[in-house]
Amino acid sequence: MKARSIVILILVTLLLLPQLAAAAFKLPTPEKFTLKNGITVYYLKSTETPLISLRLMLRGAGSAQEPADLEGVANMTATLLLKGTSKMSADAIAEAIGFLGARLNFSCSDESAGLGIDTLSEHFPKLLDIAADALMNPAFKEDEFAKERKTRLDALKSVKDNPGAAVRYYFSKVYYGTHPLGHLSSGSEASLQKMAVADVAAYYNKFYGPAKAVTAVVGNVDKAKLIEWLNGSLGKWRGAANVPASALPVLPKPKGIKLVLIDKPDATQAYWMLGASGFAMGDPIYPKVTVMNTLFGGRFTSWLSTELRIKRGLTYGASSNFQTYTSGGTFIASSYTKNDKIGEMLQLVFDLLKKARAEGFGAEEVESARNYIQGQFPPTLETNASKAGTYARLAFYNLGFDYYDKYMDGVAKTTVAEAKAAAQILPEKDFVLVVVGKSAEIKDQLAKFGTWTEKKITDPGF
Amino acid sequence: MKTKTILLALTLTVLTASGSAAFRKEDVKVHLLDNGLKVLLLEDHGIPNIALYTFFHVGSRNERTGITGVSHFIEHMMFNGTPQIGPGEFDRRMEFAGGANNAFTGDDMTGYTDWFPAAALEPMIVMEADRMQGLLLDPKVLESERGVVASERRMSVENNNDSILSKNVRATAIMAHPYHWDVIGWMSDILSWKRDDIMTYYRTFYAPNNAVLIIVGDFEPARALDLIRKYYGAIPKSTPPPAVSTVEPPQIGTKRVVLRKAAQVPSFEMVWHAPAANDPDYFPLAVLEKALLAGQSSRLYKRLVREEQLAVTVRGGVSETLDPQLFTITARPRPTADLDRLEAVIEEELAKIKADGITDAEFQKTLNMIKSDFYFGLQSINGKAGALGQAEILYGGYEKAFDRIDAFAAVKKEQIIQAAKKYFTDANKTVGRLVPEGGAK
Repeated sequence: MKARSIVILILVTLLLLPQLAAAAFKLPTPEKFTLKNGITVYYLKSTETPLISLRLMLRGAGSAQEPADLEGVANMTATLLLKGTSKMSADAIAEAIGFLGARLNFSCSDESAGLGIDTLSEHFPKLLDIAADALMNPAFKEDEFAKERKTRLDALKSVKDNPGAAVRYYFSKVYYGTHPLGHLSSGSEASLQKMAVADVAAYYNKFYGPAKAVTAVVGNVDKAKLIEWLNGSLGKWRGAANVPASALPVLPKPKGIKLVLIDKPDATQAYWMLGASGFAMGDPIYPKVTVMNTLFGGRFTSWLSTELRIKRGLTYGASSNFQTYTSGGTFIASSYTKNDKIGEMLQLVFDLLKKARAEGFGAEEVESARNYIQGQFPPTLETNASKAGTYARLAFYNLGFDYYDKYMDGVAKTTVAEAKAAAQILPEKDFVLVVVGKSAEIKDQLAKFGTWTEKKITDPGF
Repeated sequence: MKTKTILLALTLTVLTASGSAAFRKEDVKVHLLDNGLKVLLLEDHGIPNIALYTFFHVGSRNERTGITGVSHFIEHMMFNGTPQIGPGEFDRRMEFAGGANNAFTGDDMTGYTDWFPAAALEPMIVMEADRMQGLLLDPKVLESERGVVASERRMSVENNNDSILSKNVRATAIMAHPYHWDVIGWMSDILSWKRDDIMTYYRTFYAPNNAVLIIVGDFEPARALDLIRKYYGAIPKSTPPPAVSTVEPPQIGTKRVVLRKAAQVPSFEMVWHAPAANDPDYFPLAVLEKALLAGQSSRLYKRLVREEQLAVTVRGGVSETLDPQLFTITARPRPTADLDRLEAVIEEELAKIKADGITDAEFQKTLNMIKSDFYFGLQSINGKAGALGQAEILYGGYEKAFDRIDAFAAVKKEQIIQAAKKYFTDANKTVGRLVPEGGAK
């Protein structure tokens, strides 16, 4: 009896799904100040936890500047900053950071290198000193370089034992070629053999300097104290990198269909990635494409996931996304399935791409995507680290701190017609498709899609 | 992208220093419904969202031969329909309301994690209450989902050498207790689970008296409790599930696993039987784990990765589980590394701890790491909900999480030495190697 009354309640409630209020959540506007050496800092006080996060982005110190034959040198430079300074050895630095239970990393992206610190507030000054010392006085010792190079060469070999990881490396090489986005951030076998510690020092001397830095700090710290600490550490960095940052080269755009098969004879599943031209950062189409891709391959009930996973059980995961850069963008879709189903799966993907371009999406679908994007937005800005990272990124790319307000507004206003128009960006005849799998069991299924270039997974490089 | 993933290694550090402003025991409102459902409510108005987590006291330790992996499979089927909410409808309605979710299955627990805008609280409670009792297990949908899980196993185990080795080592070290098999289950079981067995398992373990419901975020507790009473209140209690009675017998000699398969590089793993999460011995082992394995200043990283360059990475630690499981050290060897030497170096470092324990600086580092990790996890509503839920399952009550840091801080140097001597013995050890065969060098 009780079960019945529950059923009725459920039905009533679901008919009366609450009208969702437009997302009221906004990124708080940070304060701005400048250090003695000119570094701009964005700051937001947050007292809920005794934590501080810092993000610093250095213009031009990323992989965009790398010569193709020295791929990985930007990442190597960032890594070696913590492998010894004129004051501290690599072990002493690791010990100091580890002792504080903190996270302090240097990393590198395409157009920037970066510093990240996440720590209990009480340890923040000590970590700033370590970071400043690393940025100002790196030793670039021969033995540390040699160790790091050997570790990278050894780690590269294990990538080919995991087809899910290997397909990303192969795709990157096939799609981007010698463009910096195709560089392996860890370096390739060839580039690591060629690289010398002098290349690393030269990269640092050209592209690292305070004039290129943008910083954001969010956490439990007073402004006056923070300014004092920053001026006593990062604010002491002097000297200018002697080469202006050049922009990321324009992204390649595939013309025609390029198919590449990597034979891995022990694979029991075939893994694939499909790529095509997308759109650049700042393009007004961004919110509309996000609504469209949410429906196509961006969430659990998306078309890709519904047709490949939910309805047919072909795979554990299938998705698509758009990656944006200042000089262009890329659409990427990917999934995997057991060897005898790869032909069926790829045909479904091409059918879905065609259907999205031809028919677009229904009104309820578009409304659902708008709700979903807005509902899932606030958690992306919840932590100190995510806020600091967002401030640094928006300032670095000069997008403005109201960027996400405009974006969410654009999402909320996206219509059915605009979602269909946005779907015209999905590839039809110009794309790259890379498959890693057991050639003997999948080759015949792939033949109908065109002519494949075939490589062995044991061939050198990617 | 949501994955509905398996929880392979739950590294949980729910610890707090007394007097923290962020999160106090007293802030959590606790209610027990008549049908046994335990409810934890924690208001947090930082963002206009809510994390609603449901944890069930069921995992692969509750399975038996023939139905291995079924806990995880039910986690998948929980999205595939009841009489009121058809297959796929849970996700469609949730996403329409602006929500997202995931779910995980571990050795000891199964968790359902929903994140949604504050306005969607009622429909989410409706749907979660509904699937706690009415799962359909539609035969056609069941077959399709079986394929999904088989694909998940191919991805996470069969096409991953480290994982293949790890499953073999676990099954060799643990011979009697259900921790013998991994959460995903054996492939032959995945391909042959019977609907009746799945339904029986679901009815045994999915009941309000075997669950805890945690809500953290932007809501009003009195209203939330009203909704919970309204939709969960009539779900009947079940007979409490049977306890897991099998006890792993003591190991009486080193076991060795050697696998040969196509590979570019070898894989390597060493394990020792270890105590349960609530055993007093757990704490000294968890402390020495940090000195041995945490970060680039750890003893094994320095020896294996930097000094002798035998490995590219090294990781591991003591499992945090209801029943005794394993202390694991996993290295990714360099392509031409001498695996005998690798094993010898690990034994040397363990011998040092057996002789001298760890330094005062290492102990302080460990406490600093534990404190930092705790606060890092508390920056989000989902971090808070997860910490509460896992403490409920693993420690027997969320409030015990708040005392746990004291247990770490109270560890004495002598206890570390005693624990190291007790557990890191040859008789208690299993060593696994995967040796490349036929792959290119």
